[in-house]
Amino acid sequence: MDWECCWSREQIEPESCPYIGEGEEDLLVSQRRRIVEKCVECPRFKNDLARMKGAGYPLSDVLPYILTEFQEQKAQMGAMLSFLNSKTREIKFLREVGLVLQTSLDLDEVLSIAMTAITAGKGFGMNRAFLLMTDKDRRHIRGYLGVGPRDYEEAWRTWEDIGRSNFTLRQLARDFQKTKLTSEKVKFHDILNQLTVPLADQGHIFNRALTGKKPILVENALNNPDLDRGLARILGVDTFLVMPLISRNRRIGVIIADNCITHKPITLQDMQSLETFAFPVAFALERASLYERLQEEVAKQKSANVKLREQQELIVKMEKMALVGKITSSIAHSIRNPLMVIGGFARTLLKGAPDDDDKRGYLESIVRETRQLEDVLSEVLDYSESLFPVTDFWDLNELVGKAMGELEGALEQAGVHCRLELAPELPMVRIDYKQISYCLKTITATALATMEPGGELRIESVLDGDGVLLRISDDGKSLTQTAQEALIAPFFQTQELGEGVGLSLCKSILERQGNSLTIISRPGGGNTYSIRLLTRKENI
Amino acid sequence: MAKLLVVDDEANIRLLYSQELSDEGYQVVTAGSALEAVEKLESESFDLAVIDIKLKNESGIELLQRIVKERHTIPVILCTAFSCYKDDFSAWLADGYVVKSSDLQELKDEIARVLAKRQRGAYV
Repeated sequence: MDWECCWSREQIEPESCPYIGEGEEDLLVSQRRRIVEKCVECPRFKNDLARMKGAGYPLSDVLPYILTEFQEQKAQMGAMLSFLNSKTREIKFLREVGLVLQTSLDLDEVLSIAMTAITAGKGFGMNRAFLLMTDKDRRHIRGYLGVGPRDYEEAWRTWEDIGRSNFTLRQLARDFQKTKLTSEKVKFHDILNQLTVPLADQGHIFNRALTGKKPILVENALNNPDLDRGLARILGVDTFLVMPLISRNRRIGVIIADNCITHKPITLQDMQSLETFAFPVAFALERASLYERLQEEVAKQKSANVKLREQQELIVKMEKMALVGKITSSIAHSIRNPLMVIGGFARTLLKGAPDDDDKRGYLESIVRETRQLEDVLSEVLDYSESLFPVTDFWDLNELVGKAMGELEGALEQAGVHCRLELAPELPMVRIDYKQISYCLKTITATALATMEPGGELRIESVLDGDGVLLRISDDGKSLTQTAQEALIAPFFQTQELGEGVGLSLCKSILERQGNSLTIISRPGGGNTYSIRLLTRKENI
Repeated sequence: MAKLLVVDDEANIRLLYSQELSDEGYQVVTAGSALEAVEKLESESFDLAVIDIKLKNESGIELLQRIVKERHTIPVILCTAFSCYKDDFSAWLADGYVVKSSDLQELKDEIARVLAKRQRGAYV
């Protein structure tokens, strides 16, 4: 029989089969491959099969079954091959991205590689992505960074540039970090600002994705009664993917990805690929954020060390000065009394001496010289007194009354009422009156700075074992731990030692005299400054 | 004649005070320590006490506290070498304050002022 198709011939001429194209010339001489690759699909072969059946060939009934089965298997193989190819590409891409994510401690680098991977054609090829991160106090998810074009023109321009550049994904990410990250951070400012969501809002789609630990594909958002339409309006698309970022059960944030320009559907495969990618991204983001915070802490520690060294040097200097002051004061004291006796009696004698007495001149000289020496001594004593504390027993309540009296103007100006609750019959405290008075006034001024007009400042004195406790409580803004530490940091403002050193000097003064200063801030508002003053003599 | 109690641990200074204040027409009794002063205060009555802050054993401030506590209505003038106390004493327990000097004029003026105030009934 003369067959229409070429299947029966070992070798054929090119014109014998119209289905063999350029580059497939080897099929002309390979009968087996020609049958498998071309003839089974060829309409001429189907005609030949029909003729076989008409001619009563015994296998002509069976051959179509085999042929159909073969074609189905071939199609399946093709699909699997294509799937494998795409997965191989994805693994290669994930490996490239993963390497950076695993090693980088730089938050900007992590952000750049993650967001580039999501939006680049060589990555997941989404048009646009937003990264939202959990804030430091872990109360809100906040918009952090948006990447992608704002409109079609920008998209076209960017994609053309990328197409020309032939960069690898890593190079693209580096280029993005170097040239675009800063501008992208502000580009979607308006959208990012509207994406803040409390972590406690369990019904919100971000929290639902985080709780379920699974991405959520939102479709037809504007007509979906289960969804907040606001989010779709903010994003300007009604189809988007919400990808949770979770690392070791910690909620790191959320990525929103969409195809706002091409409106290409987001497939199940897109979702699965992004889900695989989300884990290393979450982990890298957490690690980079922690590293950034660690760096901040290290910097703080370093600066604290510098301040501490300054303080130590200053203390040594002050101690030396105090010693000088003490010695000077002691000498001046021992001279003062004899000088007073000499000068005093000279004046007495002068008073009784007749006007023509020859000795008057001598006596006048003694009086004059003594006066001069006393003036010098006064200066020396005044100076030495400023160098070391002059401690004595004082009634603290009296001190409070007087100091607060001096602050009446400041209290009035701040519109603050002062309530004194002073315990009666308190033992005397051994203090340097001027220095403790300074401390009380400084603390009051610090408290007033946090208070609103109409507030109340309460000052209490109570007996506390072998000391007296002076508590100054305000109803102003509660100080944070950092603010408290800054306030009493050793010589926080060393350059301003003297007036205005504030609580750091108070703390130093009090501790040098064996007393203490503590600050407690109430979470709801208000702070209490407690000074504990000793009543014992031997502690000085 | 107003009767003054002068408390200072330096004998020569007590002598100087006695001399000078007697010349001013006051009756002067001296004490060399806080303890001696307290004994005299309990046995005699005075119109005014002049006390040095720096005394041996018990300080002048402590003596002043004791006088106030034990309800002696006697006015007190404190004497010290430290001028810095002056600011703190202006409205303090003591009625007057002077920086020690060989020129006793300031002390004499202060005594006259305090006694005049007492006479007007401020301490009754």
